Amino acid sequence: MQNEIIFILLAIITIVSSSVMIYAHRPIDSALSFMVSLVSIAALFALLNASFLFIVQIIIYAGAILSLIIFIIMFLNIKDENLPDETHKNKWLMFTSIIILPFTYILIDLILRSDIQTNSKLPENFGSIKDVGLTLFSKWVLPFELVSILLLVALIGSVSLAKREEK
Amino acid sequence: MNTFLILLPLILTILFSLITVPVLVWMERRVAALIQDRLGPNRCNIKGIRLGGLVQSVADMMKLVQKEEFLPSHIKNKFYHIIAPSIAFMSAFLTFMVIPYADNIKIESTTYYMQALPIDLGVLWFLAFAGLGVYGIILGGWASHSKYSLIGSIRAAAQVIGYEVAMGLSLVSILITYGTISLNEMVIYQTQNFFYIPAWGIFIQPLASLIFVVTAFAETNRAPFDAAEGESEIVAGYHTEYGAMKFGLYFVAEYIAMAASGALIVTMLLGGYQLPYLNTQDLINNFDLILWILIILTIVMSFLFIGWIRSHNILVLNGLNETKLYTSFILIFSTFFVILMSYYSFGYGGANDIGVMILQFVIFTLKLFVLHFVFIWVRWTLPRFRYDQTQKLGWNILLPLSLFNIFITAIVVVGVNYGS
Repeated sequence: MQNEIIFILLAIITIVSSSVMIYAHRPIDSALSFMVSLVSIAALFALLNASFLFIVQIIIYAGAILSLIIFIIMFLNIKDENLPDETHKNKWLMFTSIIILPFTYILIDLILRSDIQTNSKLPENFGSIKDVGLTLFSKWVLPFELVSILLLVALIGSVSLAKREEK
Repeated sequence: MNTFLILLPLILTILFSLITVPVLVWMERRVAALIQDRLGPNRCNIKGIRLGGLVQSVADMMKLVQKEEFLPSHIKNKFYHIIAPSIAFMSAFLTFMVIPYADNIKIESTTYYMQALPIDLGVLWFLAFAGLGVYGIILGGWASHSKYSLIGSIRAAAQVIGYEVAMGLSLVSILITYGTISLNEMVIYQTQNFFYIPAWGIFIQPLASLIFVVTAFAETNRAPFDAAEGESEIVAGYHTEYGAMKFGLYFVAEYIAMAASGALIVTMLLGGYQLPYLNTQDLINNFDLILWILIILTIVMSFLFIGWIRSHNILVLNGLNETKLYTSFILIFSTFFVILMSYYSFGYGGANDIGVMILQFVIFTLKLFVLHFVFIWVRWTLPRFRYDQTQKLGWNILLPLSLFNIFITAIVVVGVNYGS
């Protein structure tokens, strides 16, 4: 019962902050409500006993990526008159939601049909750091290394683009 | 009793973080005075009782609480402006939750954890909430709508993000050596001996320890890395526009962050709550002997203290006589403790587990305060780094060094474990 109440509260916070993120006019509001939704998703992981995912979500998304985004927003010094004109925002949002609706229906239907049981007992070390590490470095070692090479390429690319000398 | 043992780590967390702040402020001032050959604040008193100047920081706190709460009129984002100090405070406070204050205690087949939050991911929890603390600084500086605040907060954010990389990498090599990320298991690992010296992190990973301590200083935005609030260039940095208790929260957050990183350094590098060469089981088995040593220590220390205060407490104030009062307090307390300890040391009561737990709290606290002293010592001896020097140190020196250290550690660990 307690878990359900906490889950519902967290779900409401996640949904509300995600919609505020889409709907907000100023970028800083979007970024901060995005942070709230990330932290509440982390709390949802914690509710599932996946403490490693909880911590990783906070360290990587809320701690690193989002602080960089906010850093950039602060650096740009966006004034209110620089922001795009959003008079037809509500219409656009309505339109896109109607388009998305059938896909949402399919998604919910798939989730309901799948064999996810809400009260199933998880294995002992589900989501623990050792389990995640072993899975990552034995079963998924090739994709893992490929992703790291991809990240390295992106890093080198951005450095070389930023350092390009003007002729 | 059971509820008390469960609540005890939480109480201790509040004690070590919130309640120590006035003590730390007092230590800061008195140690600064010691280093600069002054006396420091020692006149503030309540009816003649000065507690060595500790009353001054209580008075300071009362001042901050009672000040008028004002908001500069040019601030547009009032919500962010108000919420920023509380984010900084909250994340500093939460980092303390995973520090083990004593070994797990087993009473009647129930194990009680002496961590406020007994999860295995101790170090990662610290990193997560130390990283979230940046938001308080960034938001505060941005919402203040002042150039000084913005520059200060950008400096702080860039510094914290940069040093977090080196901190994480130096942690990796420490974690490879210990083979665990649970803080309590790390402390248990450090009770081993390594060629007759205790296997403390600072002895078996000297380079990583050095990098970790330096980055911990930078993470807390304390001197010599406090260019973010360099008063000679940018007034007061990110908290220029804050007053009263909103400033007070930033102030407290800085001290709590310092206390938390000190506690983490004690736990990971200085053997935590353990004495060198003695693990918890040894302490429990030889508790009588330890009590006798403690009794002798108590008697000697109290006589030394009384002698010292009689010859040095020469300032005469109106009100109560401080020397007499302290002497009688010390006498009463040490007699009480000696009687209590001799009751147990003659074997009348079997409270070895609880006794060892209390002993470990005391050891942890002593180590923590030695580390606080080091933090303050560094602040008042080293000059502030210029901002570009801070960045250069982080990215050009500490980052390659920690990568190199990971490489060496991995080779050594693989080599040692190769045969087995």
